[in-house]
This record gives sequence, structure tokens and C-alpha cells, in this order.
Amino acid sequence: MNRGLYLIKRLLLAVPVMLFGLTLSFLILYLGPIDPVGTILGRQATPEDIRQLRIQLNIIYPNGEPVPLWDQYLRVMWDLFTLEFGQSWTVQRQTPVIDLIVGRMPATIWLGFWSVLIALFVGIPLGLYAGLRANTYRDYFASGFGIIWRAMPNFWLAVILAGLITAGGALDWYKDFIVTTTVTGTPDVLNNLFTLYHVFEGIPLLEALAIPVPNLIPMAIAFKWILPAALVLGSSSMGNEVRIGRTAVLESINSKYVDTAKSKGVSGRKIIYKHVGRNAIIPLLPVIMGEFYLLIGGSVLVEQVFGINGLGNLFFRSILGPDIPLVMALVFIFVIIQVTVNIVQDLLYTYIDPRISLEDTQ
Amino acid sequence: MSSETHADPTAGDTEPILTVENLQTAFYTDRETIRAVDSISFDVKRGETVGIVGESGSGKSVTARSIMGLIDSPGRIMPGSSIKFQGQELTELSDAEYRSVRGSGIGMVFQDPQQSLNPVYTVGNQIRESLKINRGITGEEAVEEATDLLEAVGIPDAKRRLDEYPHQFSGGMRQRAVIAMMLACDPDFLICDEPTTALDVTIQAQILDLLKDLQEERNLSILFITHDMGVIADIADRVNVMYAGQIVEQAPVEELFANPKHPYTRALIDSIPGEHSRKEGLETIEGEVPTPNEPADHCRFAPRCPKAFDACENVPPQHVSVSDEHDHTAACLLYPEDLTESHRVEKHLSLANDDTEGDT
Ligand code: SF4
Repeated sequence: MNRGLYLIKRLLLAVPVMLFGLTLSFLILYLGPIDPVGTILGRQATPEDIRQLRIQLNIIYPNGEPVPLWDQYLRVMWDLFTLEFGQSWTVQRQTPVIDLIVGRMPATIWLGFWSVLIALFVGIPLGLYAGLRANTYRDYFASGFGIIWRAMPNFWLAVILAGLITAGGALDWYKDFIVTTTVTGTPDVLNNLFTLYHVFEGIPLLEALAIPVPNLIPMAIAFKWILPAALVLGSSSMGNEVRIGRTAVLESINSKYVDTAKSKGVSGRKIIYKHVGRNAIIPLLPVIMGEFYLLIGGSVLVEQVFGINGLGNLFFRSILGPDIPLVMALVFIFVIIQVTVNIVQDLLYTYIDPRISLEDTQ
Repeated sequence: MSSETHADPTAGDTEPILTVENLQTAFYTDRETIRAVDSISFDVKRGETVGIVGESGSGKSVTARSIMGLIDSPGRIMPGSSIKFQGQELTELSDAEYRSVRGSGIGMVFQDPQQSLNPVYTVGNQIRESLKINRGITGEEAVEEATDLLEAVGIPDAKRRLDEYPHQFSGGMRQRAVIAMMLACDPDFLICDEPTTALDVTIQAQILDLLKDLQEERNLSILFITHDMGVIADIADRVNVMYAGQIVEQAPVEELFANPKHPYTRALIDSIPGEHSRKEGLETIEGEVPTPNEPADHCRFAPRCPKAFDACENVPPQHVSVSDEHDHTAACLLYPEDLTESHRVEKHLSLANDDTEGDT
């Protein structure tokens, strides 16, 4: 089967997955003991205000009849799939949901980007290194490091690290290290990471395109600020990558095809890069892709502890609200991310491991 | 062919291409030292196939890996061992120097074709890798050469199959591909470690025929390792029988099957089903090969030997000639047959002492 056809098939199959996820979220929210009207209007609301709001929120018809659940369900789903995300109920009354989400996105993307990258660039080399030096002290050191990171739960690590680097903690020099940054909260530099150059000024169609050029100093500041949170969020993935990377290298290096390659006269370096490396990546792929799942759950917690104004924080507040349009929109986005990650992973598999054909991955 | 006076180059050439002398490979674990290969000597001449036969655990594969320089920690080739290939002492080579011997000098075909090709690269890629490293052939020329090689080992539709991955090949085809990959290195010497064991009987026969043909075409020397006496009878010119890290009998193949001397060789031959069997029914050898974790100061076969006597427990048998016409030796206290028991024991003892003195 060719990859294009496969992609279309997978996208179609993603629709029921999305329906299921969203339906489940809808049921949990709507069947639970919620009273958005009370939350929005407060104690002093007049019955008329309440009636008006209920009609507006599609809970009752103008004639006072309650809107049946299935009707509400269809309305909510239709809006989501037509990308009508509506307005926030409680988090920021009457602000379009989409504006809220877009506003919070940079912090979370920045956090996620670095937590994946740090884990990747520390965990994988360290794992490969440990595997190549198996059962030496360097290996024990590297593997021990991995196990410790893996073992520290992120809710614990987040609190400890935040405690250490805020005022009075053992690491409070971090705040003033090189440049002074806040360690909690969201700095303004996030909006200043790139300068957009509109190079196509005056050319129709292309006019809207701009080339982003990174601003190095704000980048560095933003990196320093996000580092503790990113470390916490990526901690368990990093540990996993060390562990799996080590095992994968060991397995590959002791395999017959490595012996055979040596027998052909292939140099030690090439054996590592070509014959061991490619095979060791295969078991690492699900660990790497799995980081994205951890991000979604982990960001709720880490953003809360470090006071980062991101999507995780928004999600948490919207559930407490409850701000149902916001929750549903965020769930919608999260499900899309997960489904996409899944498809990308399966496609990557077929590139990395020729033994896996597209037919088997379903 | 050339004139009649000019003899077959292989027949006149008695200079061995590989000489193994007193090879000792030991594995050090926390509990014990395993003498996987314990002082063996043999040679292989140009264009000849020499077999090493023995049960699993007898040290055959460790011998092969020692020659290839593939012994990893905790294994070690002991000082005093010598492996000479085309006059070059291999045991003294650095890893980088060894690389120039591997491939273009000595190639090796491993037991399991399932695992000896890298699953993530195409067969063509792996053959071209051999060509590039050992012969500097790249590009279009490499593709052509690889196609020719696959055809030479009897893979139909070779050009297309170059782009296939190992898992798309059947077991027999995969072993052919491995052989093609090794031939791409253009080696003078090929070690085959149980190359047909994982294959079914018909495929096995085809691979053996293929090896024989290739040997004739390319004047290859082959060291063929197997546990299967039937295969040895088919392919080898001379045979070394290995038991618990030692060679217990050496002879040309016909002589070995006609006049096996060592009780272990006899037992092995008796356990072959079919034509070579000298007895009614199928014999099996009771017990297992012991782990050679003690110095050889006795006959390691004694616990399983039907002919064992007292001296076998404390005298190490040495190789003595057991035939007047042939190069045939056996390491067993029953020989030389014309001496009395006490004289034989004495002879072996004095040979053993000479040997250790020679070492120091
Ligand atoms: S030396 Fe003794 S035990 Fe060993 S094979 Fe000969 S007879 Fe048997």
C-alpha cells in the first residue's frame, strides 16, 4: 500500500477516535454536578438574568422547556467539528475561546519544545554511551543517572526544584545567574522571540508571509527561564531514553549482523554509526513519541507549580470553572495532537524499520 | 589449460595458507576460567577444505572467532598462541590492522542467515559495502558487480533482489546472499561456521554444492565447522575432530571414515544415520561435553569413553601417529597400538612433558 493512501485511511480512522474522546469528555462534564450559570452570575443574580443566560447557553429553550441532552450534545459536537469554539464562560467571560488558546500557546510550545529536546539530546546520547561502554563504571554512572531521573515523579521534582530556585532555596543564585530572570510566571520575552520580516511586501498572495528570524537575547533569557520546568517535564522521558537506548545498543552490538559486518572488514566507527545506530533507534521511537503524551498531562502540573501561563494551566482552570466551551476546545486540540502523533509514529516506523509494512501497523 | 608438466597449482602448493599453533582461548568469569579452546594446532592449505567437527560446546565456534579476531572480553587469546595467515601473525595485530585481514583476507559465514544480515539495510547495500571497503568499487560498477555476485550464488532475478530487504528472502536465499556478500570481499580464505545448520536438507545440499563450485572457481581455502559428520564427509578434504576444547583426531576425510581411531570419533560416526553407520541402528553418545574449566591433565572424554581405563584419569593424551600411509593422528592413550599399556602411558607422559618444556 502506498503511503498517501495509507495516510488517508489513517485520517479517516482518526474520526471515530476523536468522536469517542470528545463524547466521553462531554458526558463527564454534562452528567457531572455542574452549575455554570451560578458560577457566572454569582449569588445576586435575578431569576430573569438566570433565565436569559440559560437560554443563551442552550440549557433551556426560550419557552422554558429544558433542552434534551442529546440536542445539547449534537450542538456541541457540531460546533467543534466546524471549528466554532464559542466564548469562554468563566475563565475570561465572553472572550472567544480561540483567542484564549492562541494567547496561551507560546508558553506551552516553548516548554514542550525544550522538554522534548533536552530529554532527547541528553537521554539518547547518554543511553547509547552507556550501551557502548556496558558494565564499566562509566556505564554504571550513566545508567544510574537515568534511573534516578526516571524514578523521581514529576509532581515531586517540580515542587522540590521550584523550592530550591526561588528565594531562600539552595539554588536561588540561579535567578541571577548570567542574566536576571524570573523563575516563576511568564516573562514578556516570549512574545519577542522572533522578529517577523515581511519580505514579500507588495506582492499579492505572498504578502501575508513573513520570515521569522530568532532574536538571540530574548531566546537565551526565555531558555534560562524555562529550563527548570522543561527538565521536570522531560525527566522521566530522559530516564527512559537512557535505559532503552542502553539496552538497544547492547542488543544490537552483540548481534550476528555486527559480527558479520566486522568479518567484512567494516571499521569500528562505521559499525556503530551504520549497523548499530539505525537498529538501536527502532525501540527508541515509541519512547520519543511517547514524550508527547507525557507533555499533555505533565504540562498541567508543571505549569501550575512554576506559574506558567500556558495551555496546561488554562486547562486546569477551565475544568475548575467549569468553562465547558474551553474544556471541549482544549480536549479537541489534545485529541488531534495525540492522533497526529500516532500516525506520524506509524509512518516513521515504516521508514526506520523495513520489516514493518504499512499493512501490519493497523 | 596449461601444459601437462605444469601441475594443478593447488596440488603442488603445500604451503599452508593458515597455520594455527597451540591456540588457547580462555574465558574468565568470576567463578572459573573456561578453556574453550585448549591448545589446538592445525593448518589449512591453499584451495583445500578443512573441517572441524564436534558436538556443541566443543569449542569449534570459538576457534573460528579466534581466527577472525572476534573474541570479546571476558574471552582472551592466551600468550603462546599462534595464528599465522599467509605468513602474518594475527594474534599480535591491533584492531585496525585486523580490519585489513578481515574481508579481503578471511571472510566468515555464520550459522544463522536469519541474523547475519542487518535487517534495516537492503541486501544490495550490504553487498556494496563489502565491495567498497575491500575493493574500492562504488557506484554503478558496484551495482553491476553485486548483481553478478548474486547470480553467481544462484539467486534468480538478481538485479531486482538487490533492492530487497533480508526479511524478504527465504532462509536458503539469505545464506546465499551472505555468501555473496563475503565473496564480494574477494577473500582468500573463508570460514563457514555451521552455515547449513539452520536450513532444511535439500537447501543444505545446494549450499554445499555452491561452496564446492565457488572453491573451484576461486581457489578458495575453506575452514568448515559443523557438528554434522554427514556434512563433513561431503565437503571436507581433511578433518579435525574437536572435543571439549581440544582436537582429538586429525585425518584426511576418507581415512577418518574408514579407520576412525579415537573412541569419540567412532562414536560420532556411529551416530550418523545411514551409509556411514558401522552398526545396526543408531547409536547416541551418552552424556554431554564437559565444560573445560580445569587444566588438561587427563583425558576429557574419559567419563563418556567406553574404553577408558585408570590412566585416562590422570595422563593427558598426546597426538600420536596412528597410520603408516596417512597423515593421521589421534590423542588417545590406546595408541600407538603396538605398545603395551604401560609403555603407551609412558610415551604420552613423556610427550606431554616435552610439550610443556617447549612452552617455557
Ligand atoms: S584416552 Fe582413555 S578415555 Fe580418552 S579416549 Fe582414549 S581410551 Fe578413552
